[in-house]
This record gives sequence, structure tokens and C-alpha cells, in this order.
Amino acid sequence: MKLIDSIKKDFNTMTLVLIPVAIAINVVIGQIVVLLRLPVYLDSIGTVLVAVLCGPWAGALTGTLSNIIWGLIIDPNAFPWFPVALFIGFVAGWCAIGGLFKSWWKVVITGILIAFTAAIVSTPIAVYLYGGITASGSSFITAFLLQSGRDLVSAVLSTNFLVEPVDKIATALVAFAIIQGLSTRYISRFPRSENAAQEKGKRSTQLIIAIAVAVVLVVIAATVLVTMLG
Amino acid sequence: MRNRLSFYIPRQSLIHDLNPLTKLALVFTFIIVAFSSSWYWLPTILFFFGLVPLSFIGKVGKAFLRTTFRLLLPLFIFLFVMQSLFYPGGVTPLLSLWIFSVKLEGVQFAYLTGTRILVMVSSFLVLLLTTHPSTLMSDLTRRGLPGALAYIITSTLQIIPQMQGKANTIIDAQRSRGLDTEGNLFKRAGALLPLVGPLVFGSLVDVEERAIAIEARAFNAPCKKTSLIEISDTGFETALRWFFLLLMLAAIGSRIWLS
Repeated sequence: MKLIDSIKKDFNTMTLVLIPVAIAINVVIGQIVVLLRLPVYLDSIGTVLVAVLCGPWAGALTGTLSNIIWGLIIDPNAFPWFPVALFIGFVAGWCAIGGLFKSWWKVVITGILIAFTAAIVSTPIAVYLYGGITASGSSFITAFLLQSGRDLVSAVLSTNFLVEPVDKIATALVAFAIIQGLSTRYISRFPRSENAAQEKGKRSTQLIIAIAVAVVLVVIAATVLVTMLG
Repeated sequence: MRNRLSFYIPRQSLIHDLNPLTKLALVFTFIIVAFSSSWYWLPTILFFFGLVPLSFIGKVGKAFLRTTFRLLLPLFIFLFVMQSLFYPGGVTPLLSLWIFSVKLEGVQFAYLTGTRILVMVSSFLVLLLTTHPSTLMSDLTRRGLPGALAYIITSTLQIIPQMQGKANTIIDAQRSRGLDTEGNLFKRAGALLPLVGPLVFGSLVDVEERAIAIEARAFNAPCKKTSLIEISDTGFETALRWFFLLLMLAAIGSRIWLS
């Protein structure tokens, strides 16, 4: 069983000790963001951190447990959203294995991919459990789309596609900044340390590539959204 | 920032003495029955005649009602306003104001969704108010939950308050150096990294030491481990859990069958 062996290799003692700290990072940074009244959540930085350093399975576990802990100590409303956190960790882990966590413009792509995953996974939960309206401010957009004649699923889905990218790109960038600040010796203790090795490149070329990639992705997202909404 | 570890209130009661797994089974039964029933008033009845009495038997009734209220009031206000105005299937207007009109179908839908969420959140609260998270974890470990998973959850519950304390210290320290945490949006966003940086790096440094410490204490030993905490479990409770399981299956089955 190659798969099980590779999963086991990802869960060494360093991983098991990092996960609680990562969950605490999720919770505490989430609270700092509330304190600073920023229009994002940033409550999955720790999840992305584990996903990059220890692989997608560890990332998925961190995400799931984060929501369970959040439900245990702060608000039981968090329990049903655990699949979203699970997939955030999972996708971030695979992005990192694919080399999308080695320079900051690639991290932006990781952020966008995480955002799309989160948008798709959270839609059925919002629709079937909460009837489309949750306690977050973005529900005003959903309500507006409903009023203009969209059906519930596409209204919730397009709201998520509009809201998630900002939050998840910021999450991925903060996680990247944290990993860049850690020493190579420290990172090498984790099972997937090779994911975090930074690529060298000129700043200006990186910026141009980043802008080009962002424009292409926004265009793709816009076309998908337009065709989806008819 | 709140520095509270859990919802748990230590009391002597029948509910506190129940095995954690029995309570967990009860929670899932309430949730599944509430979400799968097609009878409109069932979630309401489950809450007022199931969960509220249970919380009073557990001697945590006041805290139960207060916490439920605090956690769900904002969501409910939002839910009722939005759904009554914008529910897609609304045709029967109750009252109209300018371009907005409150629709009967929207109010009904909001009530059903609201009571279901009420049952979901409040049944977890009954469990959490009467069970300490680490009791729940050690009972689940005894029944075969991997020890690593239990370690992760219990140590997280210890790390979070420590880290909140650290975060408060860092916020105070950076503020006293003139960091603007109350200016415009860009200033507040700029304050994020000076707060997050020291917190995260400080906490990550501890990770390596802790890994060495638990490896030195045979954390990875493959033998069966014993537990310090004794948790009661009776034959009656085993039967009760089977009954809950049947109830859950019946609820799901009736849902699939009838729709």
C-alpha cells in the first residue's frame, strides 16, 4: 500500500506537535483580525502552514480539527463547516507539492485555487443547512442576487466566488511570509520541507508574471460566472 | 479577547454522570431527527420538550439558555429579515413597505431553518456544558480513537489560552510602541504583520522542543496505554446508544422513503 505508507510518512512527531500550534494560530489570528476589524477572516493560516510543511493529509486533518475545536470552545455553529476547512488544507497541500508555494506570485495562484475550492464546498452547506443566508455580511450580496431573480444555489455560489478570493489569497500570502521567516534548519525537520524551498528570480519579472496570471484568472472566473448565471 | 477554555460547568447531576459517548449519540440523534423530519413543528418540540428539560436536569439550564441566546440571536435576526424579504418562492405578502414586502413563505422557511439550527447548536451545548472536552477525548481514545488525535485536541485546548495571553501581551507591547490598531483600513491591515509575526514565530519555536520531549516519553510506543481518568459506563447506556442509533437510521430511512 503505497498511499498509506506515504500518508504515514507525513505524520511524524513534528507534524503531530505542529498541528495543535497551527490550530491555535488559526483561532488566535482569527480573533486578532476581528479585533482589527479587517474585512477578511484569515482563520486558516495555520491550516495552510501545515499543508505546505507536512502534506495535504495533515493539512486536511488540521482544517477539520480546527473547526471541531472552534465548535468545542467558541461556537458550535462551526461544526457543520468542517468540510470547507478540510478541503482548504487538502488543496493547499497538493498545490505545495505541485510547486505552487515557492515564490509569491505562485502563492497567489494557490490562494485563488483554495478560494474556488472553498466557494464550491461551502455552497451546499450554506444552502441545505442555512437556507443560503448565514450570519456573515456577504449574505447581503446573496440577498441582492436572489432579489434580481437568481435561484438559490447560483446566488450563494456567485457570492462565494466574489468573497472568497480576497480572504484566501491573503491567507496564502501570510502563510508564505511566515514560512520565509523560518530557518532552513527548522523547516527541514518537517516531512515535506522541499515544498517550501524558495525559487530565485528577478523581482520585476515576477511582478509582471503575477499581474498577467491574476488578469487571466479573473477573466476565466468572470466567464465562468457569466455562463453559469446565464 | 476571551480567555475561556471551554463551555464546561462542573456540577453534580444525572447528565454529568452519563458516559460522554452516550451524550454524543444523543446529540447526533437530535440533529439528524430535526433535519430529516418533514413535520414542520418537530424541531421546536425537540428544543422545548427535549433539550431545555435535559439542560435543567443537568443543572445548567440558565447557562444553556443564555449561551444559546447569545450565539444564535444575531443569526436569527439576519435569517428572518433576509428570508422574509427575499425568499425566492414567496408569493403571499403579509405587509408591504416601499419596494419591500414581507412574504409568508419566507417567514415560514426562516422559522423552520432557524429552529433546526437551534436544535443543532443547543444539543451540542448540552453536551459541552456537561462534559469536559478531555473527558470526551479520553473516553473516545479508550474506544479506539487513535491516541495521536486525542493528543492533538487536548493539547490544542491547552495551547489556545496560552497563545491568547501571548497575543494580548504583543498587542499591548506594539501599541505602546505606537502601532496604530484603530486607524483607517490600510493602517489596521498594516498592523496585522507586526502582531502576527512575533506570535507565530514565538509559538513555532516551542514545537521542536515539545516534539523531542514527547518522543522521549515513549509517545510513539506501539503498546496499549492506560488512562488516569476513570469514566463510568453501564449496560443500560450501551442499550440506550443502540436505541439512539436505531432512531437515527429510522429518521434517515423515513426521509429517503417518504420523499
